[in-house]
Amino acid sequence: MRKEDTVKLISAEGFEFVIDKRAAMVSQTIRNMLTSPGSFAEREHGEVTFPEISTTILEKICQYFYWSLQFASGKDTEFPIEPELTLELMMAANYLHT
Amino acid sequence: MGSQKKRNFQIEAFKHRVVVDPKYADKTWKILEHAIHEIYNHNASGLSFEELYRNAYNMVLHKFGEKLYSGLVSTMTSHLKDISKFIEAAQGGLFLEELNRKWADHNKALQMIRDILMYMDRTFIPSTHKTPVHELGLNLWRDNIIHSSKIQTRLLNTLLELVLRERNGEVINRGLMRNIIKMLMDLGSSVYQEDFEKPFLEVSADFYRVESQKFIECCDCADYLKKAERRLNEEMERVSQYLDAKSEVKITNVVEKEMIANHMLRLVHMENSGLVNMLLDDKYDDLGRMYNLFRRVPNGLSTIREVMTSHIRDTGKHLVTDPERLRDPVEFVQRLLDEKDKYDRIIGSSFNNDKTFQNALTSSFEYFINLNPRSPEFISLFVDDKLRKGLKGVSEEDVEIILDKVMMLFRYLQEKDVFEKYYKQHLAKRLLSGKTVSDDAERSLIVKLKTECGYQFTCKLEGMFTDMKTSQDTMQGFNSAHGADLGDGPTLAVTVLTTGSWPTQPSITCNLPTEMLALCEKFRSYYLGTHTGRRLTWQTNMGTADIKATFAKGQKHELHVSTYQMCVLMLFNNADRLSYKEIEQATEIPASDLKRCMQSMACVKGKNVLRKEPMSKDIGEDDVFFVNDKFTNKLYKVKIGTVVAQKETEPEKQETRQRVEEDRKPQIEAAIVRIMKSRRVLDHNNLIAEVTKQLQSRFLANPVEIKKRIESLIERDFLERDNVDRKLYRYLA
Repeated sequence: MRKEDTVKLISAEGFEFVIDKRAAMVSQTIRNMLTSPGSFAEREHGEVTFPEISTTILEKICQYFYWSLQFASGKDTEFPIEPELTLELMMAANYLHT
Repeated sequence: MGSQKKRNFQIEAFKHRVVVDPKYADKTWKILEHAIHEIYNHNASGLSFEELYRNAYNMVLHKFGEKLYSGLVSTMTSHLKDISKFIEAAQGGLFLEELNRKWADHNKALQMIRDILMYMDRTFIPSTHKTPVHELGLNLWRDNIIHSSKIQTRLLNTLLELVLRERNGEVINRGLMRNIIKMLMDLGSSVYQEDFEKPFLEVSADFYRVESQKFIECCDCADYLKKAERRLNEEMERVSQYLDAKSEVKITNVVEKEMIANHMLRLVHMENSGLVNMLLDDKYDDLGRMYNLFRRVPNGLSTIREVMTSHIRDTGKHLVTDPERLRDPVEFVQRLLDEKDKYDRIIGSSFNNDKTFQNALTSSFEYFINLNPRSPEFISLFVDDKLRKGLKGVSEEDVEIILDKVMMLFRYLQEKDVFEKYYKQHLAKRLLSGKTVSDDAERSLIVKLKTECGYQFTCKLEGMFTDMKTSQDTMQGFNSAHGADLGDGPTLAVTVLTTGSWPTQPSITCNLPTEMLALCEKFRSYYLGTHTGRRLTWQTNMGTADIKATFAKGQKHELHVSTYQMCVLMLFNNADRLSYKEIEQATEIPASDLKRCMQSMACVKGKNVLRKEPMSKDIGEDDVFFVNDKFTNKLYKVKIGTVVAQKETEPEKQETRQRVEEDRKPQIEAAIVRIMKSRRVLDHNNLIAEVTKQLQSRFLANPVEIKKRIESLIERDFLERDNVDRKLYRYLA
């Protein structure tokens, strides 16, 4: 996959997740970051830092992005969520407008 | 997250992190405010979207939405005020460009700001019913730039000035124009309408009022229409190039009203170039232009239609009543056809084949054709002429076309039964004299008449054809039975006409020469031998004969003459000179016929097989006739026509008219009885109306005549008047 087609998501702890842009754009917030006119740093460097999202949550979120892409193409499966992550996940989802 | 809805969680109120720093809100806002400044200064590349978004997100989350929103409003307003000053300072032509550039900048900045503040747009704004960021940005632009006192009128004047310059033929920057107009439209349709469209329409109306006045004073109608059409197209093009599509109707309405509707009558009646002149000169393009332009305005087409109708009626009336034209019926009908063709072409090529125009044309023709009571006769004469000789060498399709045209004129006639009368007479003459050119054409016309008027109308005409055919067979039979014992004597060709089918007049049979008489007797016994129970009477006034004649110097000719003329000529086999009286006595030909037949043999140059004394143009009772020994003619066969009046003479006309009236009576009665039989009871006015309607396809029944017929039917106990209501008729079975 070419570099222009990926985006690097960085967690509060500094872990980097390189994922498909299309998957990342499941989040409306990330979509805006990458498409807003003008030249925000994120768009120029192709990476986004989330100082308020922990690695565990960001990993789960990335899984969700890919699951959602598949789900959107019609595959009806469940997305497993561990109950202890629920609260933080919901906050992140609100933030990311997912 | 999609799949969570299936699990049953108790959602507890979310506890926000307590904000420790009391200056938190101010600090966060400062960051955002700075970012907005940077964005407006094209300096956004260093900014982190995530950071700005997170700050705005947290402000809203921590109940500082109000502060964020009002901060945005005041920051943006102050930026716009600066921009406004900048635009105001632009010189002359740069003004629009500067405005356009700043507008593009603002749009881009607005987009970025909205993205950063998306969380506020999503949650805070709907719950507090505030204006969303994007719309807010547009409103602020409108209030601070477009409606700023130093820009508003300048902008409008600049735009109108550009349109005016374009109307005057200059080239303007349409792209720039389009962007500015698009901006006004983006700011809301009311901005576009109030700040541009309304004044634009007013100025346009003034412009076209002045211009149309100028044009109409100095242009003829065709030129004016060309100019109007061009203006109209220009305006439509302008709309498609840089105005709101919805403006098209409005601006074209302005042009239509100012350039067309206001001058419509003057244009149509313009001297030497108005509608009538266009019609006269077949100006298809100009007429088409007028049609297309006038169609756009109320009453436009009806104006054209009325003028055209009255013009056609006038010329038509002149055509059918001008005594000069009435001399030659063929020419008369040809002119009608030409006139019809002319207008068919105009309506076809210029008036879009408009049904209403076709109807107007039809009704005009119906109107003036029936002004002349002789139209039915003339149309029949026209057909007669065509079927006698006019169609020689013409292809079958062309014959059909001519016949169709005749049928069209026929349709316009109110007195179709009069036409039938004449047609019958003319057809009989054609058939008996063997003059008809094409049997197919004859039959084709009959079929057309049949489809138009029904079986009843043509059954007698068809009977005539049948008689011709049967007579041929009869003669074949007669000749094969008696041909042998006829020897060198005269041959006979008889056409047996069914009484009723043919327009026969009761005529006194003349005395045939003895040679002929014997032959006729033979035929009579042959015919009655094969058909019992019939009666034959000789119609000597309708026959023809071919005679071989040898003149004094030995020159031989074959003379084609009428039966009457044959009778007269045969007398000269036994006498050198005969007086009129002697001839009259010997032949017993009715006086008027005899005079005509003598005239054609003695007074027509080149056909004068007889001489008479005294030499004069007319036949007198005391004239004496000799065989003209000096008769010469280049041709062996000489056809001697009887002096026949092609058109009917006045008394003949009266007679035909009377017969027509006579024939109408039973038809009216039949119609009355038919109607009453189905209705049983009907009042006077309705009965008259229905009878008229039923007979319309044949003739226009006169109400007075219908009334007479009703009375006659009452007398004969077909109907009775109601005892109470005398206006009511009752059918008596």
